[in-house]
Amino acid sequence: MPQQVTLNVNGEDRLVEVEPDSMLLYALRDNLGLHGPKFGCGLGECGACTVIMNGFATRSCVMPMAATKGAKIVTLEGLGTIEKPHPVQKAFIEEQAAQCGYCINGMIMTAAAFLAREPHPSREGIIEALNANLCRCGTHMRIVRAVERASHEGA
Amino acid sequence: MERQDMAPALRRGLGRRGFLQASGGLVIAFSLFAPAAAEAAAAEAAASGSTVPRGILPPPAGKLYAWLAVRPDNSATLFTGKVETGTGVATALAQIAADELDFPVDRLDVVMGTTSETVDQGPSYGSRTIRYAGPQIRHAAAAGRLVLLRLAAKHFSVSVNQLMASNGTITLIGSPGSTVTYGALVAGRRLNYEIGASGTSFGMRVAPDVRTKDPSSYTVVGRSVPRKDIPGKMTGQFTYIQDVRVPGMLHGRVVRPYGVGASLLSVDESGLKEIPGFVQVVRRDNFLGVVAETEWGAIQAAEKLGSTLNPGGPEAGQAKWSAWNGLPVMDRIWETLRQEPGANITAVDHGSVDTAFASAPRMVKATYQTPFQMHGSIGPSCAIADVRSDGATFWSCTQMPHEARRVMAELLGIPVEGIALRWFEGAGAYGRNGFDHVNADAALMSQAVGRPVRVQWMRWDEHGWEPKGPAIVQDLAGALDANGRVTAWRHHMWIPTTGDTHLIAAELIGKPDIVGQTGHGVPAVTYAYTFPNADVACHGEGRVGLLTAWLRSPAQFETTFAMEAFMDELAAAAEQDPLAFRLAHLSDPRAIAVLQAAAETYGWESRPAGAGRNTQAANSRLAKGRGVAWANRDNVRVATILDLTVDRGSGAIKVGRVVVAHDCGLVINPDGLRNQVEGNVIQSLSRTLHEEVTFDTAHVTSRDWVGYPILHFAEIPDSIEVLLVNNRPEYPAYGAGEPSTCPTAAVISNAVFDATGIRLRQTPFRPDRVKAAFS
Repeated sequence: MPQQVTLNVNGEDRLVEVEPDSMLLYALRDNLGLHGPKFGCGLGECGACTVIMNGFATRSCVMPMAATKGAKIVTLEGLGTIEKPHPVQKAFIEEQAAQCGYCINGMIMTAAAFLAREPHPSREGIIEALNANLCRCGTHMRIVRAVERASHEGA
Repeated sequence: MERQDMAPALRRGLGRRGFLQASGGLVIAFSLFAPAAAEAAAAEAAASGSTVPRGILPPPAGKLYAWLAVRPDNSATLFTGKVETGTGVATALAQIAADELDFPVDRLDVVMGTTSETVDQGPSYGSRTIRYAGPQIRHAAAAGRLVLLRLAAKHFSVSVNQLMASNGTITLIGSPGSTVTYGALVAGRRLNYEIGASGTSFGMRVAPDVRTKDPSSYTVVGRSVPRKDIPGKMTGQFTYIQDVRVPGMLHGRVVRPYGVGASLLSVDESGLKEIPGFVQVVRRDNFLGVVAETEWGAIQAAEKLGSTLNPGGPEAGQAKWSAWNGLPVMDRIWETLRQEPGANITAVDHGSVDTAFASAPRMVKATYQTPFQMHGSIGPSCAIADVRSDGATFWSCTQMPHEARRVMAELLGIPVEGIALRWFEGAGAYGRNGFDHVNADAALMSQAVGRPVRVQWMRWDEHGWEPKGPAIVQDLAGALDANGRVTAWRHHMWIPTTGDTHLIAAELIGKPDIVGQTGHGVPAVTYAYTFPNADVACHGEGRVGLLTAWLRSPAQFETTFAMEAFMDELAAAAEQDPLAFRLAHLSDPRAIAVLQAAAETYGWESRPAGAGRNTQAANSRLAKGRGVAWANRDNVRVATILDLTVDRGSGAIKVGRVVVAHDCGLVINPDGLRNQVEGNVIQSLSRTLHEEVTFDTAHVTSRDWVGYPILHFAEIPDSIEVLLVNNRPEYPAYGAGEPSTCPTAAVISNAVFDATGIRLRQTPFRPDRVKAAFS
């Protein structure tokens, strides 16, 4: 049965009514209207649904609500805005690192969590960090360049 | 906070400001009506009690307001029936319009696809948007500029030739203080001016009599204008179809048959009512779906009925299906193709190939096999339908909104005048995938429950049921004379249809022929070599096994693989350099130009095809090679050269440097084109190395990204260089969405041969297959 759960998202406590075994992605998208994280596979395989949970890039499509208690969650919307983009978002815009852009939420969230941990990675390090995120349009070269740019500009 | 499509509310008279507040800043496309018209529309909507006014027809193509609106704040909107699929055409079309309109491109937004607000310019496929819609929009914008100049002439009481338009402002020549903006001239009115239009779709001519600018004077076309959609997409502020919510909406999920052609025997609904938010099962013949108040509720209900990643059998879920095993055997699909009835289509027939073969000192023969592949959109198909007794509204990401509107009218038996389709961008599709089929799924579910229903396919629905690119088999034979010249060429191909437009939902409700046709395969080649005798023919099949549709450069990715790898085989047999061998058999100057441009940038050194292995130690684990291939796709010439290493131990192929020379004529947005070409290269590399749809005799078994892997970051090339050839104002702008996909499988096969002497003739070149080829 649905229960009232408090989620800490983008620095605010938000009350949502969800089933404990439902996945975080649906609470973010359907209950809170946060559409940065995307449904891609629902299987944790593609990364389109990635959010940052307690500092780690996390696949929200396979993260049960029951496991989010007390967690601090950041979505793409919480990272930055068009007017005040996060350095990783800014680098993606400057490199024009998107085609359809559907996977990019996962790329940016994964890169932001990675760069927070490792601010000056090698190109190989970036590729390894992004390797489990899928892009179908083939924007990989630009995505890697954008993360390189963000690391140079102090993400 | 929930985002809703507020356009209906807007039409009910909510002003733009109220609209923006109500929608939380989300801007939804809308037309500018004269105040009286807006009020009339609002009154009509209120009277009918519907969510949108009924019967909103596309605007007449001969009216300027069908293409342009100018607001008092001197911003403007371009309306186009074309849609964005992630290729950047929204920005490119805005550039074309801005140039002709003398208007700042950053103040020109673009409304796409929504059928009540745009002209039907034909579907957005086949690399045809810039090529066909570009001139239509250019002419409409030029007509708009003329209208504005005439308004200004009246304003200043002068003649048009005393005026100059620039940057959205008109100035009286010689009187710099006398200026008026477009916005002030239009003063909030609808641009109700006749500009003339004739024909339909790709062939439509808009404002045919208006003079357009000399291409050499373009200032916006040819610039790498940043894409309009990217900042919103990078920050979560962009609205994809998957993000749209409408008032009163329910969530639906499909439950597909276990076997593709299975019949639904029974549905056990026990336990469904206990799922929070569950509304009802929708069953119509073999069409099965569930509807719930929440997305999670719909997912849970569908799972109970049998919608899972790995279904255990036709009776494993609570929905019981007949045992159906009508698909052909996967490993023998190419033999099956050869036995299909099909129709013979001749592409090229000159000279006498048989005579030339009979006297040839040297013959080479080979067969190339390619599997079913999928579009593999990262975002699964999604649509919302609101079906009422006398009309319906769709929210859809279809690549063909106006066509989809007609198709939905036929499916529902509702006059097309009652159907509105509001278009929103989806994830990249690369051809006709599930996006049109999900419209029909949503329609049937909404019709059954009497409320708007949003349907989103699960990953296994997408992988399992999206129409695939077909499996193809090709036989090639060539004759060489004593000087190593090709005297005769035979290329026979067996290609299933790539244009099957039947709807899955229509087939499931037992009305397969209500819309669409199967069609048959066609010879997807542009023959260009100057062989004295040639026989190029296609056995065009209908549907063979799986439902198919066009997939990026339909069948030409596969035919280019066979042609250009076989050219390499002939070059190797003739012990010639593969680049020189091609050039010796070509007269097309644009083909020669792209090959030479790629070779020069790459630093191509002449040596016989396959001689790469002689330049390195035979016992080294990594074998290095290079390859070349080219294609002519719809008048675009593209040549690709790359180098790679093959790991003899694992069979893994890793691409190093890629050089692509691309001639699509005048380039609207160079950075956007480079983005496209890089994407084509990587996606086609993925298709070459990894991709094969697997199936048993019941259904597709590659139902997720584990079963159907695509390229990972660790496998991307070291670099991709894109050379723009013949990017000059005097050339027309041809389409660039697909051509650079074509050469990739051939160029990889050729480079692997160069490195190892092993010829790969069947994609994908997975490590196990490459390794097996070594032994």
